[in-house]
Amino acid sequence: MNERFALVGIRPQIPAELSCSKKWYTGKPVAAAVLLGIIVLGCLLGGVIAPGDPGYMDLENCGVGPCRAFLFGTDTMGRDIFAMIWHGGRASLFIGLASAALSTAIAILFGAVSGCAPGWLDGLLMRLTEILLSIPSLLAVVLLQAVLGEASALTISLVIGLTGWTGMAKIVRAEVRQLRSSEYVIAARCMGGGFFHILWRHLTPNFVSSIMFMAVMNVRNAIAAESTLSFMGIGLPLDVVSWGGMLSLSEKALLTKAWWIILIPGAFLVVTLLCITSLGDYLRKNVNRKESNL
Amino acid sequence: MRQHSLIMYGGKKLLTFILSVFILSVTVFYVARLAPGDPLVSYYGDRVEKMSPEERFLAEEKLGLHDPIHVQYVRWLSNAARGELGVSFKYKMDAAEVVAGRAGNTLLLGGVGFALLFVLSLLLGTLCAWREDSLMDRVICRVGTAASCIPEFWLSLVLILVFSVALRWLPSSGAYSIGREGGAADRIVHLILPMTVVVGSHLWYYAYMVRNRILEETRADYVLLARSKGLTRSAVLFRHCLRGVMPSYLSLMAVSVPHVLGGTYIVETVFSYPGLGTLSYESARYKDYDLLMLLCILSGALVILCSIIAQVINEKIDPRLRSGGEAESREVTEL
Repeated sequence: MNERFALVGIRPQIPAELSCSKKWYTGKPVAAAVLLGIIVLGCLLGGVIAPGDPGYMDLENCGVGPCRAFLFGTDTMGRDIFAMIWHGGRASLFIGLASAALSTAIAILFGAVSGCAPGWLDGLLMRLTEILLSIPSLLAVVLLQAVLGEASALTISLVIGLTGWTGMAKIVRAEVRQLRSSEYVIAARCMGGGFFHILWRHLTPNFVSSIMFMAVMNVRNAIAAESTLSFMGIGLPLDVVSWGGMLSLSEKALLTKAWWIILIPGAFLVVTLLCITSLGDYLRKNVNRKESNL
Repeated sequence: MRQHSLIMYGGKKLLTFILSVFILSVTVFYVARLAPGDPLVSYYGDRVEKMSPEERFLAEEKLGLHDPIHVQYVRWLSNAARGELGVSFKYKMDAAEVVAGRAGNTLLLGGVGFALLFVLSLLLGTLCAWREDSLMDRVICRVGTAASCIPEFWLSLVLILVFSVALRWLPSSGAYSIGREGGAADRIVHLILPMTVVVGSHLWYYAYMVRNRILEETRADYVLLARSKGLTRSAVLFRHCLRGVMPSYLSLMAVSVPHVLGGTYIVETVFSYPGLGTLSYESARYKDYDLLMLLCILSGALVILCSIIAQVINEKIDPRLRSGGEAESREVTEL
């Protein structure tokens, strides 16, 4: 009971551990934040770290392993993997952020509408999300992309954003249903506050902490989804460099045993995903603080 | 009286199921037909380019591509009701036949994978909860979090790289070696890598939820009572806590079917495993409408069925959730 009603108003703060001996960084994902910072910075400064065109095909040096000239080696088309990593990261990170923003926006709007709506409409909308959820996301993405036509970073973000909002919408709806009959919402409504005003001013601040974790996870999922799509050849076009796209050459790499083409971009991808996950986990409220009775 | 209400309940769920599948089919049909691309190409191949406009028109007329979409949909529906699920343009066979030929493979990979996932995540989660905060628990948590971040396709690639390319222990693609279609040992050898990915990429997600659910359960007052009564740790954990966790675990696993299914599809395409995943990928790429429809509706229906099962578990099996079912379903999605 307490759990459910504590959501109204201010969330109870879990008292911080009262010991001075602990350093400021205990329990904080410092390593993940630093690592992610380095990767993001490296991608932003891609041109400085690795000058030159990442798409340049050095046909004399195809599939060269890591050496001094090519730190991470070259791929089967003779492109420098070191340069591609930093340039390609931009596309991956951009798509991750853009589609997470889109899916969060849709989720908040849809969840709030569903949460405020009368019972029958609410049921209908929730059934609708269930049906949408039932289309395997791979098929949904392929279908949507066929409709949107020529793939670009923007359309990919759109497609991934449009398919990844249902889980969060359910949470927003549940939270809104609890909040909508609280006094301050009724008061705001009596004073003539519009739907969006109430949503933005009164509802969102109350449920934002419970969807924060999911928003971060959405970034992660979107990056993973983009790389999967690009890997399968139904994501970004080949001339746009991204981490997943670099892996789409892996079939040839497997034949020539060029492990660096597979392992290096994948390692960057996984490390990024892992860092984002640790940050997200940190945001999630810690549920098991009580002593075990076992 | 009770029987009557049970029939009503079942009927209501059945109606929900049929209605959901109907809406799903309408959605998929419309989106697929609105998509640009030329279904003639997949049916006639390169000959399309040599066709004169009149021939082209006739060919399209023959396939019924000129009618408005809703007419096409009604035609599809009435055919489907008679058991004719359309023709795969690409394979030039009944779509149902194409699917039936592949479904067994996917069922094997996905079904066994799901069963393994079900058992292993329960075991792993219980193990971690049993020794909460021990070194083992912390190590497993760390490794598990890291493992769950690895995208399925990359995990598949690395496994292929290590076990098929470098070590040459296991085959990298297909469901059987050519010429040895029937051999069980051969099938198993081909299943090891894809199965590892299907199970491995989802394992920690569910094991972690089991762990947290059990830890929540161990904070309940009845555990204190049972312990003070003199029951051992393991007796309380296995006889009481696990039992309390089971209903929500069952409904969680029912909801997990789409994830596992989606994972299976991706794994299939990487390993060129001849299942529904590769089939749907191909049919979507080549605009093979009838096949794509069938695949979408099949997988969609399975998922809808599972979510209804999860609802039934929530509403019927666990008496605690009859009033607070909403909070529970929230938790399932949140974790």
